[in-house]
Amino acid sequence: MNDIVSTMEPTPLSHVTVGDTAVNASTEAPVKIATRGLNFFYGSAQSLKNIQLTVAEKRVTALIGPSGCGKSTLVRVFNRIYAIYPKQRAEGEVLLDGVNVLDPRFSINRLRTKVGMVFQKPVPFPMSIYDNVAYAIRHYERLSKTEMDARVECALRSAAIWEEVKDKLNHSALGLSGGQQQRLCIARAVALKPEVLLLDEPTSALDPISTAKVEQLIDDLKAHYTLLIVTHNMQQAARVSDFTGFMFLGELVEFGMTKNIFTKPTKKQTEDYITGRFG
Amino acid sequence: MNELAQWRRRQLTDALARTLATIATLFGLFWLVWILWTTLSKGLPALKWALFTQMTPPPGMDGGLLNAFLGSIIMSGLAILMGTPIGIAAGTYLSEYARHTKLGGTIRFVNDILLSAPSIIIGLFVYEVMVRPMGHFSALAGAIALSFIVLPVVVRTTDEMLQLVPSTMREAALALGVPQWKVVRQVLYRAALAGIITGVLLALARISGETAPLLFTALNNQYLTTKLTEPMANVPVVIFQYAMSPYEFWHALAWAGAFVVTMFVLVLGLVSRGVLLRTSEYR
Repeated sequence: MNDIVSTMEPTPLSHVTVGDTAVNASTEAPVKIATRGLNFFYGSAQSLKNIQLTVAEKRVTALIGPSGCGKSTLVRVFNRIYAIYPKQRAEGEVLLDGVNVLDPRFSINRLRTKVGMVFQKPVPFPMSIYDNVAYAIRHYERLSKTEMDARVECALRSAAIWEEVKDKLNHSALGLSGGQQQRLCIARAVALKPEVLLLDEPTSALDPISTAKVEQLIDDLKAHYTLLIVTHNMQQAARVSDFTGFMFLGELVEFGMTKNIFTKPTKKQTEDYITGRFG
Repeated sequence: MNELAQWRRRQLTDALARTLATIATLFGLFWLVWILWTTLSKGLPALKWALFTQMTPPPGMDGGLLNAFLGSIIMSGLAILMGTPIGIAAGTYLSEYARHTKLGGTIRFVNDILLSAPSIIIGLFVYEVMVRPMGHFSALAGAIALSFIVLPVVVRTTDEMLQLVPSTMREAALALGVPQWKVVRQVLYRAALAGIITGVLLALARISGETAPLLFTALNNQYLTTKLTEPMANVPVVIFQYAMSPYEFWHALAWAGAFVVTMFVLVLGLVSRGVLLRTSEYR
């Protein structure tokens, strides 16, 4: 029954006491994910080279870089979604709370409940709005109708879409607009109460208004989740993130606090990219 | 000037290609319309209520095709019942578990051969492995022969329809930590449902006119029966027998049967189109 209470209000961990804006972001936030010597291969082509990245807990970390630099590949390692394609493979370690999740003994489905993902294109399942959110919960928990209703409402609220869909929960999710679909997908991921949310260019298929809503949402979600966002849009990275990593040709060229990366990058490649000289 | 000449030549080529394409279309349509017209003009007058209430008659007596219709429904229904689950399972395996593997490619290839195998060979096969050992023709053998025709159609459509489901949907569902078999069953089947149903309907349309496999397996029966171990009447074989006979009344019955089967296939085609259209709008 405790579970329901936490369902209604995702409990923020108390020991993290840092300011809530990007400017105040502290490097002292605990490490949620750390990669060690991470290499990635598509067949024989290497697309990630010795990545050492740390992701701070309950912060937004952005990955930027030109197309094909490996930023999407990198986040796809964190929930091992790449593993559904037989020719893709990762080497090295990805430590989630200190445990290597690339270890085959680490249950892939358990990993994915801890590390949720939102994709570039919104992909609602061909079922009702309610069922989209309830779908994965049903697999893991036996909830009564009222418990499930509360859980679905909570997820939809935290994805800032509840007001728009509360009167048509039984309608097909395919009838929603693109922006609504994407927030529904965020609700679907949040419904499982993950610890980390991976966002792979979540706004690239959305119009500016929907983009603003999703960005606002990212800011809200930060209170409860560790977020990792891949984006093509540097302004977006600057707006939403606390930390930024710049990737180029499969390498993590520079990593640091967002304000530092954007105001005084230490590497020339980073500077060239953020000043628009290439990419 | 040169440009103008080029333009004229393109116009001419276009006109020529268009005319040839139109002629080819009309040529194909001509035979189709002729066949439909013959079936209609000869079948419609023979269409009487007795067709659905009386048995196939001996020469010189009145009758209908009741036993043949019932036999066809039983055997086709059984064939669909047997072929569909196996076909969907195999199609799922090909699309979801063996898509890029050598084994999957081989199975797909063999299935395509089965898909275009002459149905008389399927009839002969079932005759050899079932009818001969049992010592007599039977409805069950007929249904099994038909299910061999259903199977590759359902395998192929299931495989293709599942492959059409975007991989992003698989990723999104798997990313929720739901095991693959549940994702297939609860998300992918739903997304591909219309296509799979269409495949089953098309398979039903295909077998409702198959004669060769039944000739070797269920044969025919003058009487109404629902016993699967006995020979069973069915529309295609009755059409074949009656059309070959010297009796006028039998000819009329054969045309009526042909007409009903044609209409059934036509309706199935329309329904499957409807299923696809409705859900593609929904998407």
